Amino acid sequence: MKTKLRNRILIILTAALMLAFGIFALIRYGKSGAKEYNLILIPKVIDETNGFWTALIEGAKLGASENSCNITVSAPEKEIEYEKQIQIILDSIEKKPDAIIVAASSFSETTGALQKVLDAGIELILVDSVIDTDLGVPIVATDNIDGGRQLGEYTRQFVKENSRIGMVGHVKDVSTAIEREAGMREGLGEYADRIDTVVFCGSSYDVAYELTCEMVETHPDIDIIMCMNEYSTVGTARAIDDLGLKDKITVTGFDNSIEEVQLIEKGVIKATVIQKPFNMGYLAAEEAIKGLLGGETSMNVDSGCLLITPENMYDEESQRLLFPFLGQQ
Amino acid sequence: MEKEGKGRKIFEGFRKIQSTITFSFSLLIIATVVIFLGIALNNTRKTILDSSISYTRQIIRQVNYDIDSYITNMENISSVIVGSPDVSNFLFPDEGQNALQTSEEKDEDKEKYGVSVIINNAAEAIDEVAVSRERILSQFKTITESRGDIYNIAAVANSGRAIVNDGSEGLTDFIDVKNLDWYKAALDSETGIALSSSHVQNAIVSSYKWVITLSRAIYGKDGKRDGVFFIDLNYNSISDLCNNNPIGTKGYIFIIDDEGNVVYHPKQQLMYGGLLTEKIPEILENDADYMLTQEGSASKLYTMSKSEKTGWIVVGVTFTDELLAGMRQAQRIYLIVAAGLLIIVILLSAIISRRITKPIAMLRDSMRKMEEGSISDASVEITTQNEIGDLSRSFNAMTVRIRELMSQIVYEQDEKRKSELRAMLAQINPHFLYNTLDSIIWMAESGRNKEVVVMTAALARLFRQSISNDKEQMTIEDELEYVRNYLTIQKMRYADKLEYSINVDSDILKVDIIKFALQPLVENAIYHGIKYKEGKGTIEISGHAEGDRVVLSVSDDGVGMDDETLSRIFDGNKKDERSNGVGITNVQSRIKLYYGEEYGLEFASEKGKGTVATLTIPREKNIDEN
Repeated sequence: MKTKLRNRILIILTAALMLAFGIFALIRYGKSGAKEYNLILIPKVIDETNGFWTALIEGAKLGASENSCNITVSAPEKEIEYEKQIQIILDSIEKKPDAIIVAASSFSETTGALQKVLDAGIELILVDSVIDTDLGVPIVATDNIDGGRQLGEYTRQFVKENSRIGMVGHVKDVSTAIEREAGMREGLGEYADRIDTVVFCGSSYDVAYELTCEMVETHPDIDIIMCMNEYSTVGTARAIDDLGLKDKITVTGFDNSIEEVQLIEKGVIKATVIQKPFNMGYLAAEEAIKGLLGGETSMNVDSGCLLITPENMYDEESQRLLFPFLGQQ
Repeated sequence: MEKEGKGRKIFEGFRKIQSTITFSFSLLIIATVVIFLGIALNNTRKTILDSSISYTRQIIRQVNYDIDSYITNMENISSVIVGSPDVSNFLFPDEGQNALQTSEEKDEDKEKYGVSVIINNAAEAIDEVAVSRERILSQFKTITESRGDIYNIAAVANSGRAIVNDGSEGLTDFIDVKNLDWYKAALDSETGIALSSSHVQNAIVSSYKWVITLSRAIYGKDGKRDGVFFIDLNYNSISDLCNNNPIGTKGYIFIIDDEGNVVYHPKQQLMYGGLLTEKIPEILENDADYMLTQEGSASKLYTMSKSEKTGWIVVGVTFTDELLAGMRQAQRIYLIVAAGLLIIVILLSAIISRRITKPIAMLRDSMRKMEEGSISDASVEITTQNEIGDLSRSFNAMTVRIRELMSQIVYEQDEKRKSELRAMLAQINPHFLYNTLDSIIWMAESGRNKEVVVMTAALARLFRQSISNDKEQMTIEDELEYVRNYLTIQKMRYADKLEYSINVDSDILKVDIIKFALQPLVENAIYHGIKYKEGKGTIEISGHAEGDRVVLSVSDDGVGMDDETLSRIFDGNKKDERSNGVGITNVQSRIKLYYGEEYGLEFASEKGKGTVATLTIPREKNIDEN
């Protein structure tokens, strides 16, 4: 009996050893590759000339490919076409992707479609803009209030005794416009009551140009114009430059593009707050994949921003952010 | 002893040598394999890592070399252009030409230089400058068109006079080119050549591209560095150079300058966005040309090569887990082989130990049999020629010898008993003989011749019978005959005292009984029963079969025995002086020996009433006669 038991123990011991070997080998070498997820990115617009969205898309693409995931991008041709974007969101749900990354074009109208994304069990990440409802999904965006505040604080130095301020926004009621305006007012502090008018250009250079011309006419006291995105900044600066008022009227704004850089160098634009669209896209994709893998996602990812002035624009850090290193490799 | 204590316990735990051998073999082999594996894997890891390091080092050197020659090539291009007189002709026109050019712009100046010769000269000079410009532009065109890695190519004089790309572009108004780093570097450098790190080219209208600028000072007619020729390189060639030499699928190569600024990185955008960092300070501090780092779970190998020419450091980054993929393969093979070997070896050790211990087990079984007494079939089959075989052989020899000895002992015992019996029978109690002879004499004297004849005849028969054969058994019939002769004599001696009757079933007469079994009983009945009785005593001998037994009884009506005498009746071997040789004890022990314990003598006696001796033997004799 006892010997039999011994033998059995021996056999079991040997078997256990073999098993351990097997499991060890399996663990060591059986690592299966991570799953390939399908992501859909829906920015506000696809516009080759727009540095911001191009960089954001590129960032998201890189973020996806870094994690060996697929990403497709679809968006309306104009930033203002939020109905089209809603349709694109609804169409995207049909494609059953693993995650959808959306830069909502409307603060309130997009909410319903986004809720449907969540209802379909698709991972949702908001990028750049927020919406009126808290859906409890990760948001990757610039801290627009902070950006506005920086610009407001910087603009204070141009406020003279009788200065009046005008504002050119991009789209009324989008979160970025709301937040940036609020931030600017905060940054201006006691000068906030110098703001005489706020107009919205619908993210169009031409509209911004015309609105600026009108503003100069209707509000001759205005000597500072603060803009809220690339379209409004460039449109306004073009108008001021064309009107030859660049030494009379100070323009500060948001975002960057080659033209904006030239206008800064030319001295038309005195300051711009640039976002980090590439980082934003990259982090959004990363966040989406993190969520899909079941990891912990951060609810609010601040992709950061930087105030650019003619003095610091060729600093190491500024030039890295100001001039996207895209398509050059 | 103390030292061995523990080991002993382990091995004593096994009750089989086979288990001990298998277990210890397995332990030994597992230990060996594990140690071997450890050393082999470690060694493999080291070897693979070493070879990977030297391999990537080679690649990095190659990349560095390629980049050096790439830059040299660019320098050569720059030297060709800078060396051509066209450049200085165009950038540094003579006073006259200068004036003339200015005069073209300002009409009133023409009046100042109203001399036709001068105008003629000037016209020629203008022509010359224009020709130079064309030549330079065609040279620029040839260079940029033949290669895809140049964004801008331009020559600038300190005066601000410049020729850029295809001539349609110019320097931007907002920037003073003379303040730019790469411009100053070329003028200040010893060789007149400078190579920038990555930067945005903001000197040219609507460029703003990330470039690497190779700048070279242009010497004016006065021999001073009066201008700069520069080429803005895009990343096509450099990234090709870095990517053409793959170092693993995940590995990559990047370049930093001697201050740690990134010149090229495959993920430059991520670097610039601050989403990716490299261990640049560590790389700059590191003296060796490689370093291993641990970042989270990933271990990286950085291999560096610094170019003397450019001051750039080419850094190769490889992931050690990728490098060690080969090792994984090796490890897998090692592990599989080890596992396979272990299985085989454990099986083998089980088989071998079984083969070793099987003869031992057989030997043990045989010994156990012998221990139990069955010596006859205790011999063991010899299956091996080794020590165990020898042992088995010796054991077999031993069993044979023991068997011989035992049969010899049995035989000798037998012989001894027989000779003892014979000796006992041979010496018929002399007292009996004297008494009988006295009786004969006495009868002869009293003239009872007939009786003398009867008694003498009975005595003669008695003696003849007792020495007639040396068989140990005789039939009951013969035994009764012997008893009858004996009783005849005794009856004559105790004339009025003894009567006897024999009632034995005729069907048992032919049954064998050991010799002289009844006579001592009769003798006992006479000497202890009848002899002391007053008056006549009767002895009755009866016999019958009881199943497979035969029961013979000798009963007398003599004085009987008290319990004490009865209990001592089988005691010792002390011979009654008057007994006829063979005592009760002898009969009892012979019966037990011959027929088994269940047979034998029994006595029942009652004081004053007589004694009954009952003798039981088997009907069929089942002992072997040897």
